[in-house]
Amino acid sequence: MTYVFQFGIVFDKFPLLLEGALLTIRLAAMAMVLGLIVAVSCAYLRTSGPKPVRALIAAYVEGIRNTPFLVQLYIIYFSLPALGIRFEANEAALVAMVISLGAYATEIVRAGVQSVPKGQIEVGLALGLKRLQIYRFIVLFPAIKAVFPALASQFILLLLGSSVVSAISANELTAIANTLQSTTFRAFEVYIVATLMYFAIAVAFRGFFAAVYWFMFVRGRER
Amino acid sequence: MIKLRFLAAGGAALLALVFGSQTADAQALDRIIKDKKIRITAELTSPPFGILDKDNKPTGSEVETARQLAKDLGVELELVNVTGPQRIPALLSDRADLAISSLSITTDRAKSVWFSSPHGALSIVIGAGKNVNIKSAADLAGKKIGMTRATLEEQVVPKVAPPGTNIVFFDEHSATQQALLSGQVDAIGGAAFLINALAQRNPDKGIESKFTVTTAYYGIAVKPGNYDLLQWVNTWVFVNKQNGVLAKIYKEHTGVDLIELPPL
Repeated sequence: MTYVFQFGIVFDKFPLLLEGALLTIRLAAMAMVLGLIVAVSCAYLRTSGPKPVRALIAAYVEGIRNTPFLVQLYIIYFSLPALGIRFEANEAALVAMVISLGAYATEIVRAGVQSVPKGQIEVGLALGLKRLQIYRFIVLFPAIKAVFPALASQFILLLLGSSVVSAISANELTAIANTLQSTTFRAFEVYIVATLMYFAIAVAFRGFFAAVYWFMFVRGRER
Repeated sequence: MIKLRFLAAGGAALLALVFGSQTADAQALDRIIKDKKIRITAELTSPPFGILDKDNKPTGSEVETARQLAKDLGVELELVNVTGPQRIPALLSDRADLAISSLSITTDRAKSVWFSSPHGALSIVIGAGKNVNIKSAADLAGKKIGMTRATLEEQVVPKVAPPGTNIVFFDEHSATQQALLSGQVDAIGGAAFLINALAQRNPDKGIESKFTVTTAYYGIAVKPGNYDLLQWVNTWVFVNKQNGVLAKIYKEHTGVDLIELPPL
């Protein structure tokens, strides 16, 4: 190959890439928090809710898990305005990410909930706790602990999957990289730098999850 | 020891064979003729230049131009599907021999690829619904304008847009057009044909061209270093300009006459 690398052009525009990376982090972090709330609520309703609600949650989970993320994104951004629901590109991206993550994480949390021994729940019943109290105080904690690694992986997948939202003009890291590539034509350089940035963000999130795990489930519980 | 040296020499020869075939070869034309196959980019989401017909077959003025070129060269045509932003990378990464995908000739792009003389021309306009009040570039202020990445409009519209214009970018023409149809943007920048075709397919939206931003010429691009291929392509463009084949293909697909094309 006679290709000459020119990273200078990319570093001139580095502040732009950084801005995109910050939006990626913001979108991912917000989607993780909101998605987890959706997942914990849906997992409860899926296991202990009334029958029609269980069926509804099942339909949501299967519907989302068996359709492409990009198509869901297009529906939210391009199709919902016809029904009078209009999201800005970045909002539409967040909504799509929360809906998608919520579905995947519901299944993960549900697996955790079902792994909690029956005896523990019966203890709660014997103590006269209400269903929601049992879920909140007895089931949720060991459930999340059991599936924490799987949840963390799903969160990282969501972070990396957020690169797709450039398709609806959300201006996150991949979108900025695409624009830089198309104006400078230095495709290799731009994408190499963007890849390294994604890698750094993913590693940072993994470190954060490890810290959360340690603080929540390890520290002070070794006795 | 002798054995080791023999192995090293063999390995080096093998490496040379593998990597030698990757370099920007001065004999690109010979190789294409020898392989009896030429690889040309096809952007199929960009009517009337490249689109899938009713039977899902690639067509459009640029695809037909590619077909004619391959026929005249006497080799088989392999269409390499690309999106707009991939047109130049496809050349540079050796996935295609030629880019024939309405690639407008600009000095910026010429830093990365070599252009032939133009074989077509297009106007970039701002398109929007009838009720949107845009008469000139100054009216773009405060409006949300959609356009596709790696296109000519991406380069020229921001230059004429006044401060306060909100420009957003999509990866595909289809997404940009959908954004206008669903009201996510007030107006879009694009080639005049694209806006016309969009208006015809959606008569209820009342889409019209507001003003012309610029007129540009597009050419065939090769990877830098492929002198012989570029020379042949230039000759091909010259011949087919004179005999009217290019004008015929252009008219058939765009519905308008091809304007006078200056040589590069």
